[in-house]
Amino acid sequence: MTALLEIRDLHASVGDKPILKGINLTINAGEVHAIMGPNGSGKSTMSYVLAGRDGYEVTGGDILMNGESLLEMEPDERARAGMFLAFQYPVELPGVGGMSFLRAAVNARRIEAGEEEIDQLGFVKIVREKAKLLGISDDMLKRAVNVGFSGGEKKRYEILQMALLEPSMAVLDETDSGLDVDALRIVSEGVNLLRDPGRAMLVITHYQRLLNHIVPDQVHILAGGKIRKSGGKELALEVEESGYAGIDDAA
Amino acid sequence: MPGSMMLPDLSSVTPEGGVRAAALARWREQGWPGHRVEAWRFTRLDRLADLELAPVTGLADSVNGAADRPADRAAAGIGAHVIRFVNGVVDPAGLSGLPGGVAISDLGTDEPALARLAALAPAGHPVSDLSLAVMSGGILIDVAATVETPVMVIFEGDDARASAHPAMLVRLAEGASLQLAEWHQSAVGLAAPLIGYDIGAGARLEQVKIQAEGADVTHLAATGVALAEGASIAGFSLCTGAALARLETHVAMQGEGADCQLSAIYMGRGTQHQDITTYMDHAVANCTSNQIIRGVLDDSARGVYQGRVHVAPDAQKTDGQQMSRALLLSRKAEADAKPELEIYADDVVCAHGATVGELDATQLFYLTSRGIPEQIARAMLIEAFLIDTIETIENETLAGLLRPVAEAWLAGGGGS
Repeated sequence: MTALLEIRDLHASVGDKPILKGINLTINAGEVHAIMGPNGSGKSTMSYVLAGRDGYEVTGGDILMNGESLLEMEPDERARAGMFLAFQYPVELPGVGGMSFLRAAVNARRIEAGEEEIDQLGFVKIVREKAKLLGISDDMLKRAVNVGFSGGEKKRYEILQMALLEPSMAVLDETDSGLDVDALRIVSEGVNLLRDPGRAMLVITHYQRLLNHIVPDQVHILAGGKIRKSGGKELALEVEESGYAGIDDAA
Repeated sequence: MPGSMMLPDLSSVTPEGGVRAAALARWREQGWPGHRVEAWRFTRLDRLADLELAPVTGLADSVNGAADRPADRAAAGIGAHVIRFVNGVVDPAGLSGLPGGVAISDLGTDEPALARLAALAPAGHPVSDLSLAVMSGGILIDVAATVETPVMVIFEGDDARASAHPAMLVRLAEGASLQLAEWHQSAVGLAAPLIGYDIGAGARLEQVKIQAEGADVTHLAATGVALAEGASIAGFSLCTGAALARLETHVAMQGEGADCQLSAIYMGRGTQHQDITTYMDHAVANCTSNQIIRGVLDDSARGVYQGRVHVAPDAQKTDGQQMSRALLLSRKAEADAKPELEIYADDVVCAHGATVGELDATQLFYLTSRGIPEQIARAMLIEAFLIDTIETIENETLAGLLRPVAEAWLAGGGGS
């Protein structure tokens, strides 16, 4: 198997504050990994560092996707190379129409791949099809991006974007936060439909409950900016029972 | 008046008596506003000192390739009747074949019409007097009924030494209605249009102004609006052109139940200076005015919004709103806003506000994280910032004229 994502001794700071202190992680194509950890362990920092957000500075180590370093790439270049981040807090864009946003994103990828831009009519059909599976109404699609969406709707809209962009590496940052049981099920089903031998996923979560729905191949426990423990899906259950306390102590 | 300021050569201007001679006398007295004049504090006219200008008189030359210019293409697209000023002079071609309900006559010799224009024109504005006196071309448009065909007035000309002083008074009779676009796309030295909209009882004017002048133009526009009982104007200006531009509009609400929607977008880059100045005079009761101003400034561009709402003691139940928001795309760009309320009545709803901000980094990251290149992402956010303003225009035909101009600016090709 080829490593789709390889994180090597990654150190990162926000402002002057070191948050990630030597992360090593390899995810192969077709695998789903989960990162669990207490608040402040560096989970969200990790997702932003992968996506290349300004202000999240890599101070050491490297991130390779399909063997190529992401560090010198801007967020849009990373995305077109196959990186996708489902935001913990999807951003409202008043005045930006949902359909034109989705089409701009898809076309940016297509242009990069040397394909023709997709026409509006064909695009609407594809979006509707995928939206239906996620319980996203036509009305939601017509609105400005994330404006007036409930918490659950925003998360479903993130998964819709993922389905349209077909990333090779998907990072889901606390996709379960703010979801009730039904929304959690819909979002998880959406994610599971996107599991693919050519695609890797990194599911970042505080709670084990999401991992009942999106069953990971491997679970890593992040604390104090380092991965303290790795194991199979049963590790998540362990955390659920005994909490993060023991792991923090081990650090 | 500063001694260095450009003084137009007025030797050829000899109005005999009457309104225009009086205007010329006032101009000779006042001249250009000096640095101490509060209304011109943010917009200095020093650059006029470097120009040697003379008003053009005589017949208009035909402009080469006019049909390929954005205004003509847009006019053809909406089936508008085109009236053209070239270097400030009326092109006679547009004065025939008028839509039903529209009549055009010479303004320069019509004393009552001149007096009316002088009364509507922004008092104290140099262009009000100078363009009235010089009037390189002047037309009176009378609208007697509901006119379905839009009218587009194109102001063009490529004489960089020309000082263009077109004047136009549009009179809407009781119950009449008109859709009118002003499109300014010249390369003259100074463009100083003086325009009056005299809107009769129950009449409605839907108007857009596109200021897409050439990069070296100084555009000083003075516009006066009068609204009779139950009259309404929905006006919208989009400013992307000129080196320095000031659009000054004075609105007199003279009859109860009048409604004035007067919004504007200015977009500047390089060292462009865009000024939107308005004065809303709520002289009588039960009138509404609403202004939405949006500015986008890049590089070292500067934007100014000065909006004064005056509510007379008897103007109860006035609703006067003004909101200005500017978006700065560069650290060197600057926006000044001076919204003012002067309220002498006690039963009114008036509000004003002004904000200046930057593009939201989180929104930009969200877009780029989806693979959208940064330049496109920025354009999407700027467009989003402007879009709700354009969406306030009920008239889709006129709104449709603005979008391509704004988009061209966003794509980097418009305006300058």
